[in-house]
Amino acid sequence: MKRFLIFVCALFAFAVAADSAQAQCNAELYNNMALKKLAPGYTFVKSYRIDGKDGKRKKIEYTCVFSKDTSYMLRMAGKDGGPTGLVATLFDTRRSQLFTSHVNGKFFDGWTYKCTSTGIYYLSFTFEGSKSYCGAAVLGFRR
Amino acid sequence: MSLFLSFKLYKVIMRKSYKAALWIICLAFMFAACDDSKPAKNGETANAGNEAEMQNEQQKDADDEKSDSPMQASVITDIIKSIPSPLEVSFLIKESGTSYLKNELNDHKKVDNYTNSYSKALNLGVYSTDLGYANIYEKNQDALLYLNSVKKLADGLNIGQFFDYHTIKKLTQSGNDMDTLLRLTTTNFEDINNELQNQGREHLSILILAGGWIEATHLIGLVYEENKDEKLREKLGEQKIVLERIMLVLDYYKNKSNIEDFINDLKELQSVYKRIKIIEERGDPIIEITDDGPVVTDTRKSTVEINDQDVAEIKSLLSSIRSKIVD
Repeated sequence: MKRFLIFVCALFAFAVAADSAQAQCNAELYNNMALKKLAPGYTFVKSYRIDGKDGKRKKIEYTCVFSKDTSYMLRMAGKDGGPTGLVATLFDTRRSQLFTSHVNGKFFDGWTYKCTSTGIYYLSFTFEGSKSYCGAAVLGFRR
Repeated sequence: MSLFLSFKLYKVIMRKSYKAALWIICLAFMFAACDDSKPAKNGETANAGNEAEMQNEQQKDADDEKSDSPMQASVITDIIKSIPSPLEVSFLIKESGTSYLKNELNDHKKVDNYTNSYSKALNLGVYSTDLGYANIYEKNQDALLYLNSVKKLADGLNIGQFFDYHTIKKLTQSGNDMDTLLRLTTTNFEDINNELQNQGREHLSILILAGGWIEATHLIGLVYEENKDEKLREKLGEQKIVLERIMLVLDYYKNKSNIEDFINDLKELQSVYKRIKIIEERGDPIIEITDDGPVVTDTRKSTVEINDQDVAEIKSLLSSIRSKIVD
């Protein structure tokens, strides 16, 4: 009985530790990788965590206020290697899709958007065949 | 619960009842593992001297946080994150060809006048805008003075450890790596905001952002008066969108000290902004696929309807609200 109880306790401790380790997504690491991909001339303004919680979260959405006469560049990096498995899509105020970083089955690092209309936009991150569901993105602007 | 279990454990060990003790350990372990009620990470790197003060403030803040609003924390975080960086405005101002307006910025020496969390947070925002503005104009000496004020206020709010003062100071002194300097400053402010949100002190985040926004919008008004650049006039009108978002979050914290008065001042400003219209002409984006990913040019166009009287009223109200913050 004593051995059984010790086994149960050890198993429980292991399960808790394993669950916590699995759920961790070190977005900071991928944030730095994404920052390096930002083209010269673009000033970094925001970073975004892309943590799909091991597939439990299918979509991570952020709201942005973009300004006309400004170019925005988004760059991503993820645990699966580069932008693999990560998709960044921009929607306008009416939630109509404008464009996406996943084109013809190819995962791009991000996109460049020359904004001509000031307003609220929705930046959505989703996963396509991702194994890690983990990454980060950065946004830069240039006038 | 844990006290009860400890007492039980003590009693059974005293009776040398091994099995029962092990069962209780397992139960206690399970209770501890399942306890979701513990607060989020609480500034682990904050120094010990400031911890008690911070806890007091957090307790006070927690007591304040009795709002009827059903807004979720994630919604607040999203709104806070959506507020544009004042750097965008500072770049536009420089692009308009205006000289550096040193005398219009907040005096760095006033930093010691800000003694409560409310004024520290608002002025941290004001000084951070001034710091970015001075950096963009490559006024290294001024930037260093603002950097010191920012650091002092951040320390006063127990978030100074997230500000890489020494590296930023070195970059400012050398003055030859603007990109890295702006990147590091922005990253540090993001870390500060994240930490305040982790600590459940989001109201300070929105005050920092609101202070920064007021300073940047005040500068747009001043520069527009000088050069009558149409882009600045439009930019002043476009701030309607940002103000709406700031108000959404501030309203959630209206029960906190001083915030209600601040909201009332901003409501007056918002009433002028309600007259301003942002009109959008529809169009489809033109997408070009390059090796670096899609490059998209929008064909929609927004225009802002704002007249001289609106501009004058906005400028006057901004100036009065700013004076209450900095003086």
